[in-house]
Amino acid sequence: MLDVRDICKNFGGLRVSRDISMHLERGERRVVLGPNGAGKTTLFNLLAGTLKPTSGEILLDGARITNLNVEQRARLGLSRSYQKNNLFEGLTVRENLALAAATGEGKTSSFFSRAHESRSVRETVEEVAEMVGLADRLDTGVAHASYGNRRQLEVGLALATKPKLLLMDEPTSGVGPGMIDAFHRLIASLPREITIVIVEHDLDLGFDVADRISVLNYGEVVFEGTPDETKGSDVVREIYLGDWQGDA
Amino acid sequence: MFHQTPLKTFTVAAVIAALALYAILGGYFPREIVIEIALLAILAVSLDFVAGYGGMVSLCHGAIYGIGAYAFAGMTAIGGYDTVTATLVALAAAAAFGLFVGAVAANITGIFFIMATLAFGQMAYVVVFESRALGGDDGLSGIARYDLSAIGIDMNDSLQFALFCLAVVVIAYAAAAYVLRSTFGRTLSGIHSNEDRMRALGLTAWRHKAVAFSFSSMLAGAAGILAAQHTQFVSPELLVWTVSGEVLIVVILGGLGTLAGPIAGAALLVLLKHKIGAYTEHWHLVIGLFLVAAVMAGGRGVYGQIEYWLRQRAGRRADA
Ligand SMILES: Nc1ncnc2c1ncn2[C@@H]1O[C@H](COP(=O)(O)OP(=O)(O)OP(=O)(O)O)[C@@H](O)[C@H]1O
Ligand SMILES: [Mg+2]
Repeated sequence: MLDVRDICKNFGGLRVSRDISMHLERGERRVVLGPNGAGKTTLFNLLAGTLKPTSGEILLDGARITNLNVEQRARLGLSRSYQKNNLFEGLTVRENLALAAATGEGKTSSFFSRAHESRSVRETVEEVAEMVGLADRLDTGVAHASYGNRRQLEVGLALATKPKLLLMDEPTSGVGPGMIDAFHRLIASLPREITIVIVEHDLDLGFDVADRISVLNYGEVVFEGTPDETKGSDVVREIYLGDWQGDA
Repeated sequence: MFHQTPLKTFTVAAVIAALALYAILGGYFPREIVIEIALLAILAVSLDFVAGYGGMVSLCHGAIYGIGAYAFAGMTAIGGYDTVTATLVALAAAAAFGLFVGAVAANITGIFFIMATLAFGQMAYVVVFESRALGGDDGLSGIARYDLSAIGIDMNDSLQFALFCLAVVVIAYAAAAYVLRSTFGRTLSGIHSNEDRMRALGLTAWRHKAVAFSFSSMLAGAAGILAAQHTQFVSPELLVWTVSGEVLIVVILGGLGTLAGPIAGAALLVLLKHKIGAYTEHWHLVIGLFLVAAVMAGGRGVYGQIEYWLRQRAGRRADA
């Protein structure tokens, strides 16, 4: 469903992404690992259209999307959550999710209707709030919400457009173990036909949810394989200095 | 995000009622003041729609006001068209200009957006100023007023004309409030809050902003149509950028992003101008000090500050 072919991204002389290729099947859960500065967020920016690759092609369902902009890709069913919270400040949790749900339905331009209060949007809002654990926080102002709640909303916004391809950049960064577990269950509960790419620092979570794992280092895919293969890989062991040796 | 709160309804109703009373009880001069306030209030509502709810601070609303006035004037005085056709053409002209400015400037942010609108406004000014067909710097006269005798309104009567202008303020406010609560308006609030995220959700933000700017321009054009009928004369002065500056001052004085505040702000500014102007020529200085005080006190404007206090109090009561 997603085909990345030899994409490179240079910032001036700095080669941040180098000949990245990956192929994702529909419904696959792919975890991207890699140390700080490896180029994981840059890869997401390239996939989502925030950045244009210096060279290479990206195909979604067989169609070239390399030259499409952010909103065009989003309308094809690509959605992302950000490493740094990127919310609608000043609005409530409900209003945040309603914006995402209505925009996801393509309802943005009517002067004479109120899509954000429509039944389908309300249902999506409640459903997503339930999924990310914000059902009892719907009327909280985002500015007053706890960090954990803001993190949940970050993922909620990405889900509320009902995407086909979901990119999540360190969704559990900075949250406690309880919320990491809840996030685990959330991923497991998502419809199987959604294709998901997750950048994750938490190796246990990564191994647990992944069908396949890609490891980035210095902008290059240095390894790709199943979680078990990853655990046994020397390259990966070297990069992570034996972080999970205890588990293996 | 816009909510038509009781405080907004009360404020608009109170200001309009007070002005109507002032026009009814006063003579010719108070009515002129009321008309001046009404025109400025419509402009301020239209500017607050884009600036306060879309984050697009414009310095060309004066020019758009002038375009509305000139289009109406040209259609009636030169073209000989009826006032209904002239009105539709003038609204369309203002909306089209706004759509163009909005589309070109939509991807420009911050101070550069303001400068771009200023540049477009100045261009419109120069075109009108240089245009022989539109009378150049002499302007155009002989503009017709609406003939509303069929419904018993005499637009040549200064009181009835003033009341008509106040009615248009209410219509402009209601239209802006309605759109802000619509799907379109909610989406606009989303852009104001976080444009990048709206794009990531699939919205073509620049197009949305252009349409918002166009709608706002149509309201500004409506004020221009009234201005042309008021003096039955138009000159390039209408398009001067200081008009835009004054509208922006009104919006900030009343409360940016409150919609009701700018109407109160228009009344405040014009009354201050005339009351203080009676004593000293330096009324600008007084208004300037007023504005500085308003900005220093939190930048919420007079109405915005009241709304803020009441919300704080309600919040404390809810907490207790
Ligand atoms: N716009 C930019 N201009 C120049 N360099 C950039 C830009 N964006 C990212 N970089 C550089 O590219 C490299 C990769 O950054 P990126 O944010 O993709 O890493 P990451 O793998 O997401 O790291 P982290 O785990 O810290 O989130 C870093 O060295 C970063 O400084
Ligand atoms: Mg990153």
